[in-house]
Amino acid sequence: MSNAQAIEQSERILKQLVDKGKPILGYVYPHTPLEIIMAHGVMPALLYANPTVMGSYEASLQTFACSFVRNMFSQRVNDQLPYVDGIVFPGNTCDSLQNLADIWHLRFPQDKVFRLTYPAGNQGEAAIQYFAEELRIFSNSLEDAYGFPFSDAAFRQAVILVQRFRNAVQFLYAARLLQPSSVPYRRIAAFVREFHSAPLETVVDELRATVNDVEHSLAKTGRVDSTKALQHALLERRLEDVSILSDLPTPRLAIVGGMTEPQAISELVNAVSKVPSTAVVFDLLSFGFKTIFTPMPAFEGDPFETMARSVLGALLEPTQEGLPKRLDFLKAALTHLAIDGLIVCEQSFCDPDEFESPSLLAVASGVGVRSLRLPVDPEFSDRVRLEGRIQSFLETLPHGGAA
Amino acid sequence: MSEKAKEEKAYRVLESHGFLQRVVFRYMLEGHAASEEGKLAWVTSGFPVEIPVAMDVGVSYPEQYGAVIGSEKAGPKLCGYAEELGYSQELCSYARASIGSVKHPEESPLEGLPAPQALLACNNICGTVLRWYDAISQMTGAPVFLVDTPPLEGEQLPHHIAYVRHGLDDLVSFLSEQFGTTLEEDKLREVTDLATETIGVWTQCLEACKNKPSPLNCADRFLAMAPVVAIRGRDYTLEYYQMLLNEVKDRVTNGLGAIRDEKVRLLWDNIPPWFRVFRIMGSLAKRGVVFPADTYTHAWTGSFKDEDRMDSIASMYSNVYLNKGLEAKVDKMCGLIKDYDLDGFVMFSVRSCKRYSLGQLVSKELVSERTGVPGVVIEGDMVDSRLQNDAQIETRLDALLEMLL
Ligand code: SF4
Ligand code: SF4
Repeated sequence: MSNAQAIEQSERILKQLVDKGKPILGYVYPHTPLEIIMAHGVMPALLYANPTVMGSYEASLQTFACSFVRNMFSQRVNDQLPYVDGIVFPGNTCDSLQNLADIWHLRFPQDKVFRLTYPAGNQGEAAIQYFAEELRIFSNSLEDAYGFPFSDAAFRQAVILVQRFRNAVQFLYAARLLQPSSVPYRRIAAFVREFHSAPLETVVDELRATVNDVEHSLAKTGRVDSTKALQHALLERRLEDVSILSDLPTPRLAIVGGMTEPQAISELVNAVSKVPSTAVVFDLLSFGFKTIFTPMPAFEGDPFETMARSVLGALLEPTQEGLPKRLDFLKAALTHLAIDGLIVCEQSFCDPDEFESPSLLAVASGVGVRSLRLPVDPEFSDRVRLEGRIQSFLETLPHGGAA
Repeated sequence: MSEKAKEEKAYRVLESHGFLQRVVFRYMLEGHAASEEGKLAWVTSGFPVEIPVAMDVGVSYPEQYGAVIGSEKAGPKLCGYAEELGYSQELCSYARASIGSVKHPEESPLEGLPAPQALLACNNICGTVLRWYDAISQMTGAPVFLVDTPPLEGEQLPHHIAYVRHGLDDLVSFLSEQFGTTLEEDKLREVTDLATETIGVWTQCLEACKNKPSPLNCADRFLAMAPVVAIRGRDYTLEYYQMLLNEVKDRVTNGLGAIRDEKVRLLWDNIPPWFRVFRIMGSLAKRGVVFPADTYTHAWTGSFKDEDRMDSIASMYSNVYLNKGLEAKVDKMCGLIKDYDLDGFVMFSVRSCKRYSLGQLVSKELVSERTGVPGVVIEGDMVDSRLQNDAQIETRLDALLEMLL
């Protein structure tokens, strides 16, 4: 499914939900606690940058707002978010989003605008307690806005659903690394997108069926156990003992970056004529690996505290970990997962991306992995040039990118 | 300069600027000495500096150094060095200039800031500082410590203050470990008292600008703010501000304004373009335009209360101007326009600084609506002159002045 088809499909599903009376709460930050929102009987829907949007932000935002923020705001101005009945913005994650929430609120005072503020840096237990309280406040404001109180039963159900989804996708990530032919990256990206657009049982059921197929394919080469072990190692962030067999197809590409959308980037890479379907084996994207490998919340105890532990346990977010940890993990991933090419995506005017990419590139060069810095915007407005750059990059790789 | 030339200038030079230069020079020397002793931390402009100062850790301010780089017109060159290392031109130019000067101190004003042994960031001004310090840490090996002060919407709630307070306690442990010092309650009281007194005198200087003519223009305040940002909590800083206050009071008593012929009173919003600020202010002064108030220098106000000092620090540093939402910024601007009886406002949209600048297009409308005075948004940068189009700025300012003169 193409990016444009995915947008259409997600709109169709949201419309059906709205017709059934379900309120839809849009969110833009990958570490939004879906389970809390679902515990209020509200459907969380990730709002994606729309590549076809007409820029309509100029009266409210300067051109140096990041491309994602400009895109989102333009969608709202153009009434392109028809099914969304409220939006939750993160606080304290990046300056552009921080200010966007204020601007949105002042420009569209009739909209339900929520803010959930995250702790930054690695502040240990104090951060958990702080964030648990923020989640409680958020939950109260959801109740005020939608009239549905927090339901323990709905929370439990949501935790199970989200975890089933993450478990399954984690397995696919591991399978992709150990046997790239077992599942296309674009398929994984499509599931991630579909679930985040509307976390429904049907998506997870379909996903489980895919996992079964992949398990069968892995079983033929005796790689089921090693895949599970790799899934575990990725969750634990311990890659030292991982070994990747040398008979796998090359090149092995990893894509790193912040809010670049996995499905959109996979579509871009696949459009390059010489890229084999097995090439992209890993990502370190916010809506991809970083959210998927979030630890599950515990059932016992205060739900807000348990959610705080889960969300803040997510891997590799700039708001939650120091740069050295993220670089260490990248180094381990490049080395132990046998990556031979790294694509570093950088959204325009995105401080987190643009500050980090020189360090990411330095890590790759330090371990002898070739890299490509790819400035992008959510519209991929420069698509032909981007494809050309990927093409040339592949040609520089040791295996020449040949299928 | 001859007496006649001095007399002809539209702008009156402050006598106390001579002392200010000595204060800043002394602070630079202290920074170098601290660095040589292995006891220097770089701190962000909104960092709770009273804590390292009370623990006898020397401090240097890269943002203030960025202003020096800007004034010396070294921005494009040093930012360019950061770009060569891969840092995008779209990033904050304080950060880029600082990265460039770490890479090439020999080509930087005053040969760069003294080398840090720790990097102390507080995100009450923006989230960029953490990423910037992470980058500097990669280059210098100095560890980063973040005091996290999540942005406030409305009142500061108990869990927020407890969290920030916890961060401050962690800071004390970090500094103790890193520099082998301890924090004594008496010393902290002494430093915070001195800081409160200094800020109090500074605030009186600012408030004196309610007089007509205004005794200070904003370029005066941009220069004079350096010690209150970087060296509050020192006796010589207090001495400087007392001298400035005396001079300001003299001007008020004698009916002397910062500019010779005050006709229009405006508000300045945001950081100034350091490489051009005197030229802009000078040429506006010739047309009778003065800026009795600005949001930037008014950000360093407030006082430490007599409660538990650490709690007071947690509260004061969480409540700084940039850590609050757009509504609070609009309120502040409207308050300044009313209190200082201003005729209009200029919003400098700084490409480098998203936290300060994004939202100005909306707040411009709101401020005009609420106060009834016109304003203009001009775009540029504080350090990197390559990002600024002077002709466009002039045209916009002319359009505003046409309404007012
Ligand atoms: S793209 Fe970057 S700057 Fe923009 S909202 Fe995302 S993290 Fe923030
Ligand atoms: S982004 Fe703005 S507040 Fe932050 S360091 Fe740069 S100029 Fe200062």
